[in-house]
Amino acid sequence: MTMHAPYHAPYWIALLVGIASGSVGPFILLRRMALVGDALSHVALPGIALALLYGRDPFYGVIVFLTAAAFLIFWLEGRSSVPPDAIVGLLFTASLAVGVLIMPDTEVIESLFGAFPVLSLPFLLLILSAATLLSVLCLLMTKRFLFVIVSPDLAKVHGLGRGNDLALLLIFAIVVALGIKLVGTLLMGALTIIPASIAKNLTRSMRPYVIVSSLLGGAISVVGVRIADTLRFPPGPSIVLLGVGIFLLSLPMARNRVKGGK
Amino acid sequence: MPNETILTVKNVSVTLDHVQVLRDVSFSVRRGEAVVVIGPNGAGKTVLFRALLGLLPYTGTVVWRAGAKIGYVPQRFSVERSAPITAMEFFLLQSPNFWRPNAAFISHLDHELTLMGLDRSVLHKNLGELSGGETQRLLIAWAMLPQPDVLLLDEPTAGVDAGFEDTIYALLHRVQIERGTALLLISHDLSVVYQYAQQVLCLNKRVVCQGPPVEACNPDALATLYGEPGYYRHQHDPGPR
Repeated sequence: MTMHAPYHAPYWIALLVGIASGSVGPFILLRRMALVGDALSHVALPGIALALLYGRDPFYGVIVFLTAAAFLIFWLEGRSSVPPDAIVGLLFTASLAVGVLIMPDTEVIESLFGAFPVLSLPFLLLILSAATLLSVLCLLMTKRFLFVIVSPDLAKVHGLGRGNDLALLLIFAIVVALGIKLVGTLLMGALTIIPASIAKNLTRSMRPYVIVSSLLGGAISVVGVRIADTLRFPPGPSIVLLGVGIFLLSLPMARNRVKGGK
Repeated sequence: MPNETILTVKNVSVTLDHVQVLRDVSFSVRRGEAVVVIGPNGAGKTVLFRALLGLLPYTGTVVWRAGAKIGYVPQRFSVERSAPITAMEFFLLQSPNFWRPNAAFISHLDHELTLMGLDRSVLHKNLGELSGGETQRLLIAWAMLPQPDVLLLDEPTAGVDAGFEDTIYALLHRVQIERGTALLLISHDLSVVYQYAQQVLCLNKRVVCQGPPVEACNPDALATLYGEPGYYRHQHDPGPR
């Protein structure tokens, strides 16, 4: 019995973490946080390296570093005197560099680009239930996240404070943490953006957008893992390249943005 | 309670980046009253609104009547053109259930849209694809949806066709009369002041004049406000309102 669960584990992780990535992606994209999000996923690397150095499961290093990074971005965004994007870019690429330097050699490629993880059953269940919970949370918070996207001022007048921003960052950080073993630190940020970018080309309103993005996230990840499994690739690049390919195919279906006018 | 005070503002000052942009502004708004804020560009009109709404830090006191529902129509509202958000979803932000709105909400929404002269088909349009005039009317309908006790409108006719400006002011006046909604609005149009306001607040970083329009907007006050005597002088018959 215990042999079966680990064998299928990558597919289950791909499905549920893919759906969670697709659920949070639209909000990251519409808030124009795609690059910040991508940089954030790089912070995981020193977390992985430190955890390995101290003989711990890398996941714990990842979750601590990403949660801290989410709080850091939140704090920077609240300070109007500091341009957050430049600082986020510098700090996070620096953490990528530090991570590569202190990472044991054998783990570098796997940490950057993902691998088929060997997990215990309880750990697998933890990842799957957390991913499911985050997807549901995104659906429940769609109205709040959308309010801030449409008009931060109106959102504030209607009593929505910056707690929503922190919630979005934390959901994003934890989704990235859940998928990082499979997809890798360099590519996990992309997994949250790709399904949302494709779905944006295919839908015209928010409710279908979030649903289609979630389903695409799950589908692309599962098929990507299947391709990687068959061709013996690392799963990260396989998922990301499949996603980018579908994005290119979806471009002609993007609705005509020139029509209408202001 | 026709004379009930909805908003009391006392000695409100705002300083942004070490520069004082508003000094010692005091006024009050009563139920069903229309107060028009006028002043040159950079006078701090929008800053005043943002302070009243708690969007900017200020000193002094701003007291809203307990439980007062506030509607706000901002001056600037731009949504990314390619964002897949429909006008309907914009309204659903005010629905208790975003994913499955109930019939009562939809019928109330239809009513408010009709009031603003908007066709129901606008709901299916993308928020970023609406014309300036449609956006403005949509914003007003959105602000009126929860039937607020007071509406703050920051240049509500900006971007609206000249012919439709009067329609919007007439509609706002109707809401003021029929629902007892207090209106606090920023306008560049002095004829609006004379036609609809019970009170005018002339602002140029401080209060230059205030009171009933016919008394407050005398040529000397307007000259002080705009710095050019006669330039903004009202050309029409003030009328009895």
